[in-house]
Amino acid sequence: MKTIKILHMYSDLLDLYGDSGNMEILKYRCKMRGIECTVDKYSIDDETPDFSAYDCIYIGGGADLEQQHISADLLKCCGGIEKAYRSGTFLFLICGGYQLMGKYYRDADGNEIKGLGLFDYYTIAPESRKMRCIGNIAVRTNITGKPVDVVGFENHGGQTHGVKTPFGEVLCGNGNCSKSSHEGYCEKNVIATYFHGPMLSKNPEISDYIISYCLGREEGTAATLAPLDDTLERKCRQVMLDRLLKK
Amino acid sequence: MKRLQILIGKLVVKLLRLFRRNAGNLPGIVLWHLTRGRCCSMFKVECPIIAVTGTNGKTSVTNCIAQLFEQSGKRIITNHEGNNLDTGICSLLLRYCDMSGKVDADFLILETDESHVPVVYSQLKLDTLVVLDFFRDQLDRNGEMETLIQKINGFCKTFEGNLILNGDDPNTARLGRANLKNKKVKYFRAERYAFATDKIFEASEGRFCPFCKEPLDYEYYQYSHIGKFICKGCGFGDYEPYISAGGIDLEKPVFTADGHTYSPKLNSIYNVYNMTAVAAAAKLWNIKQDVTDNVIDNYTVQNGRMENFMLGERKTTLNLAKNPVGANMTLRVMNEMQGDKELLFVLNDNIADGLDVSWIWDINFSIFERVTRVVTSGTRAYDIAVRIKCSGYDAAKIVVRPDLDSAVEELASTEGRKFVIANYTAVQPTRSALRRYIAKHGGKTDEND
Repeated sequence: MKTIKILHMYSDLLDLYGDSGNMEILKYRCKMRGIECTVDKYSIDDETPDFSAYDCIYIGGGADLEQQHISADLLKCCGGIEKAYRSGTFLFLICGGYQLMGKYYRDADGNEIKGLGLFDYYTIAPESRKMRCIGNIAVRTNITGKPVDVVGFENHGGQTHGVKTPFGEVLCGNGNCSKSSHEGYCEKNVIATYFHGPMLSKNPEISDYIISYCLGREEGTAATLAPLDDTLERKCRQVMLDRLLKK
Repeated sequence: MKRLQILIGKLVVKLLRLFRRNAGNLPGIVLWHLTRGRCCSMFKVECPIIAVTGTNGKTSVTNCIAQLFEQSGKRIITNHEGNNLDTGICSLLLRYCDMSGKVDADFLILETDESHVPVVYSQLKLDTLVVLDFFRDQLDRNGEMETLIQKINGFCKTFEGNLILNGDDPNTARLGRANLKNKKVKYFRAERYAFATDKIFEASEGRFCPFCKEPLDYEYYQYSHIGKFICKGCGFGDYEPYISAGGIDLEKPVFTADGHTYSPKLNSIYNVYNMTAVAAAAKLWNIKQDVTDNVIDNYTVQNGRMENFMLGERKTTLNLAKNPVGANMTLRVMNEMQGDKELLFVLNDNIADGLDVSWIWDINFSIFERVTRVVTSGTRAYDIAVRIKCSGYDAAKIVVRPDLDSAVEELASTEGRKFVIANYTAVQPTRSALRRYIAKHGGKTDEND
């Protein structure tokens, strides 16, 4: 059986709203199917890993202070991450991780943090720290090939502009900017989003999309996965969808 | 004008009382509007005000400090009910002030919400501020941790009164440098205890020195990010403690402070920190040792904080957990207990809880030992069920009952030891549901325990 190798970057610093839970969920869903899943950690000043050797690179979200701390280190990894992404490694990016893959992030004090520039978008935090997009959010995404309603929690000051291929259409909540129509950024091998919650907890289709992509990436076709009993997850999502979308 | 405002406020208090409603917040809200947000500015307080703030433990510490003065024969005013926002404190003072707004007492001891410290004490002169700790809590309400600390730090820059700080919490200890001219900064701390770890065990804040950004060096962690730390860059953390708890033995439980031995009723490290803060206040205000002994050695908690119930013959312990640190604490206590047990977890996401429940993913459920079944309830019953399931716990042993009464019935449908964890707004409804069960099926509560 193939092993899925994930690199969780800055897990000790960027883990604001239970984002590490996403790793726990991926490991759990692999384990239930007898798929081996290893999660390596990388943080500031560790030896530079071979990014391309990983099936998935995961970066969570953090407060402004933490983002400043990691930004210089992340730039050192730029070449390696870009090469991995071009060769098909999946990039799973939450909040701060999402912002820092764009051109730049300008924080509330006007400090500009240079992003890796892998994608064209850029993010500006409003001057007032009180202006944040906070709340439960639901979006409809087509990343898996059919529409899936995804629910979670957003909590971000940064307003992300210039996204050409968003992750989903906002059904309820803010998305990339305050009251915007779209949320996140995606490609076949990228999910970049403001979803906390953690994101995968109520959206098993997204977890499985990532797992099957990773399993099949060398062959170039997504692998078929054994179904799991997702009664609790689906019920959990339905309760929130009913609450958010009730007319 | 001011007299009129006070009159209106007092009338609201009277009216609410007349209808047997708790006048906790509403009178303050009315005055808040009448005074354009400066509802505490109309009171004249001439006695010292002691405020207690922090994420965890402020109710306990406020109650104990109040008792120190009360048992010393002082006339005190304190917010027992925990109404700790500006409007709550305003409502409290409305009940005690005369028509000119004058508040007559020897001491005011006020639990104060972290984000409201600058608000309230820009209007009322503060004598002593006790800061216990800063943890992730209701982040979406208060904004990020750092913003919150900055707010209090801003207040401390010009504060010249006594500042009693938890020296083992870098988030708190940093406030000691906010005003270098203030010579009344005092740190309390606790020496290493048996369950301290060399590595950090739970998700937490404050890994870097706030002054020079170097990673903080820890000799040990007591729990979460509380422990003995030092910054090798600038020496942050190198201070002379005002009072230090040592000889901590939670089996008995005992600890010593300033050469004196205390035997508290509660056996947690969290309580040792809280009581050391109380001992610091006692030292500062020259409270007699027998009074301090009496307060620290007899303090127990109610209101859903390690409160016991008998559901028929089934011993049940309810504990409030409004953040991962509190929940991890309960899980540790549960695990240290012998034999099988079942857990009911009640999770709500009302405004006062913080709408975001992602903090449950920072709870370390993988340490579950001898937990034979889990029942979940509350407005987010499914979220906590999914969370526990993904920690590797057998999904077949998880029962979801969003309705509280049926959750309690479910919990009590088997024999054996039970634990209940409920978050902030879930605690009172859970207590009520447990009481309803007892009224219907028998058992008892430990009201007088």
